[in-house]
Amino acid sequence: MVQLRPRASRAPASASAMVDEGQPASEEAEHGLLLGQPSSGAAAEPLEEDGDGDGDEWDDEAPEELTFASAQAEAREEERRVRETARRDKTLLKEKRKRREELFIEQKKRKLLPDAVLEKLTAASQTGIKKSPGKLKEDNLQKKNEECEKRSESKKVKEKVQSIGQNKSYVARRLKDQDLRDSRQQAAIAFIQNSLYGPGTNRTTVNKFLSLNNKRLPVKKAAVQFLNNGWGTQKKQNAKRFKRRWMVRKMKTSKK
Amino acid sequence: MGEFKVHRVRFFNYVPSGIRCVAYNNQSNRLAVSRTDGTVEIYNLSANYFQEKFFPGHESRATEALCWAKGQRLFSAGLNGEIIEYDLQALNIKYSMDAFGGPIWSMAASPSGSQLLVGCEDGSVKLFQINPDKIQFERNFDRQKSRILSLSWHPSGTHIAAGSIDCISVFDVKSGSAIHKMLVDRQYMGVSKRKCIIWGVAFLSDGTVISVDSAGKVQFWDSATGTLVKTHLVANADVQSIAVSDQEDSFVVGTAEGTVFHFQLVSVTSNSSEKQWVRTKPFQHHTHDVRTVAHSPTALISGGTDTHLVIRPLMEKVEVKNYDAALRKITFPHRRLISCSKKRQLLLFQFSHHLDLWRLGSTVATGKHGDTLPLSKDADHLLHLKTKVSKMPAFLRSAVQILFSEDSTKLFVASNQGSLHIIRLLEGSFKHLHTFQAQSGTVESMCLLAVSPDGNWLAASGTSAGVHVYNVKRLKLHCTVPAYNFPVTALAIAPKTNNLVIAHSDQQIFEYSIPDKQYTEWSRTIQKQGFHYLWLQRDTPITHISFHPKRPMHILLHDAYMFCIIDKSLPLPNDKTLLYNPLPPTNESDVIRRRTAHAFKISKRYKPLLFMDLLDERTLVAVERPLDDIIAQLPPPIKKKKFGT
Repeated sequence: MVQLRPRASRAPASASAMVDEGQPASEEAEHGLLLGQPSSGAAAEPLEEDGDGDGDEWDDEAPEELTFASAQAEAREEERRVRETARRDKTLLKEKRKRREELFIEQKKRKLLPDAVLEKLTAASQTGIKKSPGKLKEDNLQKKNEECEKRSESKKVKEKVQSIGQNKSYVARRLKDQDLRDSRQQAAIAFIQNSLYGPGTNRTTVNKFLSLNNKRLPVKKAAVQFLNNGWGTQKKQNAKRFKRRWMVRKMKTSKK
Repeated sequence: MGEFKVHRVRFFNYVPSGIRCVAYNNQSNRLAVSRTDGTVEIYNLSANYFQEKFFPGHESRATEALCWAKGQRLFSAGLNGEIIEYDLQALNIKYSMDAFGGPIWSMAASPSGSQLLVGCEDGSVKLFQINPDKIQFERNFDRQKSRILSLSWHPSGTHIAAGSIDCISVFDVKSGSAIHKMLVDRQYMGVSKRKCIIWGVAFLSDGTVISVDSAGKVQFWDSATGTLVKTHLVANADVQSIAVSDQEDSFVVGTAEGTVFHFQLVSVTSNSSEKQWVRTKPFQHHTHDVRTVAHSPTALISGGTDTHLVIRPLMEKVEVKNYDAALRKITFPHRRLISCSKKRQLLLFQFSHHLDLWRLGSTVATGKHGDTLPLSKDADHLLHLKTKVSKMPAFLRSAVQILFSEDSTKLFVASNQGSLHIIRLLEGSFKHLHTFQAQSGTVESMCLLAVSPDGNWLAASGTSAGVHVYNVKRLKLHCTVPAYNFPVTALAIAPKTNNLVIAHSDQQIFEYSIPDKQYTEWSRTIQKQGFHYLWLQRDTPITHISFHPKRPMHILLHDAYMFCIIDKSLPLPNDKTLLYNPLPPTNESDVIRRRTAHAFKISKRYKPLLFMDLLDERTLVAVERPLDDIIAQLPPPIKKKKFGT
């Protein structure tokens, strides 16, 4: 037996079935009422509000005739509703973003130096500070004087400047540039080391290389560096210390 | 001669750094050599292969490429990304320019000498224009995927070949675009996991590109079609360098096993005009990687990690077959790295970045001739001085040579502008006394200074004008020894007679009397007779001359493989006598001994010698540096499989 679906409350039930889940309950009743009224078209008989009336499921009546117009109306309403929700979402997001932006601007303003200091800086640079490499970073201090020749053309002022002494001569350098250069040079050195002495190359120690001749002599000789003096240094040190202490103890007991 | 006690010193831990690049200049017959610690040395090949000029280096300047450009200009580029030009007159660096491409791996000067091409880490090839005062960036070529490790110009200057990892690109110079990209096999007829690194390329004028790579192959490519023509599998390890002669009929490659191969263009049959490249000669003069080779018109030059510079003249190219065509191996420095304080028995060792001061040990034992005596007190390591930046006046900062006077109150400084300064040293401070201005003449070699023991005379060499002698008491130029066409290798003034003894790189020795302003009698005699032919055939230059305090007729000098005491009172040897006279046995009669004795008493007992001096009347100090000790501290070589081991 084919079980027809219950037609207890037609209009509101069908309306609620088409509507999204997330709708607030208050609007549901409105929509239901709206949908319930046919917009246009013939044969649009007003649908009754069945309270609970015909709980009889075995009705012989034909299913409801939904006119094209009503269906169209429903669809349009649906679309409108969806659009409304989307617009509302967008405006909400916009609000959020705006608030965030303002917050960031506030923070940034707080972070920057006060205007007075910035003005002084620009004024100082215009008077032409002597650009001699007097004060470089700690790394550069170890390099020889010849390195002074390589003065980088791009000098950027660091954000935090300790002192703006106009009588001092200094060179301000971006730390990032020097690190980048060093890391590239390290990478290049590592490449050469790897390609010449890395895995896959057929290298041997100098000792073995020089001892090859000794092995082929008519009277075989030992390797060029036969003794390994680097063996057990800690043990040897401990032994020396123990021996010294033992001697001292022995002297003391023998004196007594 | 007398008996001497000899301090044999072997604790000077001198290890030269490996040779990284070599560049040969045809016009002046000079060779520029750069080492892994950044020093650049200039050798004058026509002056008996003497090291004329020397630029001290820094490790951060790790040079990877060296080249000569038009007008005797020397450029180098390294892993710090900068191109450096050297000033050969002032003996310092003119300027350094950042190429902004990351570490620079290769550099080549155009055949016309006016443009410079640089291959960088990021795969870009940059073209620079060489102006009279500086170099200027012109443009970039097409960027490649991996680092450009080798570059070569076509002799006409229209195309270049660039070798990177796993491929070789041929560029057109005018447009800067890559015409061909030739892919190189990773292994000869096989597949390998290791990438193939193209260590060297050479472009010939008929359009052939020769490449050497890390799989041990030498390959010939046709640049017009971008195809491989021929492969030679030459070694089991990397082939690291290539150099082509100017006539393009021979080239030389160096491998990581230490072998150097010579390839020549020979005709297929004896009277056909068709020629092909044939591997003719292998040379095994190195134990470690040969990282650089050069081809001069008459010789093959190679240098590598084992720190020797080997110059092999080619017999078919040499016109006169005399001792000049022999193999030259330059291992030891041509300058004096050790100073000795005679009274205090202290030795000062000069390393590249620090100075060491040692006191000599002493002994109380006695023995006969030839015995080695045990040390009762070991040598003491006293000081280890590193470079320090201190307050010095500006003119002193670029000092080329420094010398103390005999009584240690005055300091003579030769600056790189050619002027000489005298400074009086006081307790804790110094006072500048006088400056002798630069005389006319170009700087030929490193300046050498010598001061007389009584403090009156100062001799300075190094310019093309000859050796200048200054009167220190009156602060003016006294005289100038006439110029000689070979550079001076050692200079010294004798104690009482004030004779200036000069040794040149062609093994000639002159003695000049300063008070008389002329050559001495003995000097004229020996110049007229000429030196013994074996004396003139010595390889290494004389680096130190000293005198005996009580015997004015004796001159003590040494080079790397012998030391000699010249006795001016004895007759001079001619070409027929034995130069290297062993000590005559005492039971021979006096007559025979007098007949065979001659002025040059040579001993080859202590070698290789870095320094030898007279401490007092009965003691000598000899600083030796056995070659095995140097080799023991070198990087690992390639494994060689020998049958039976």
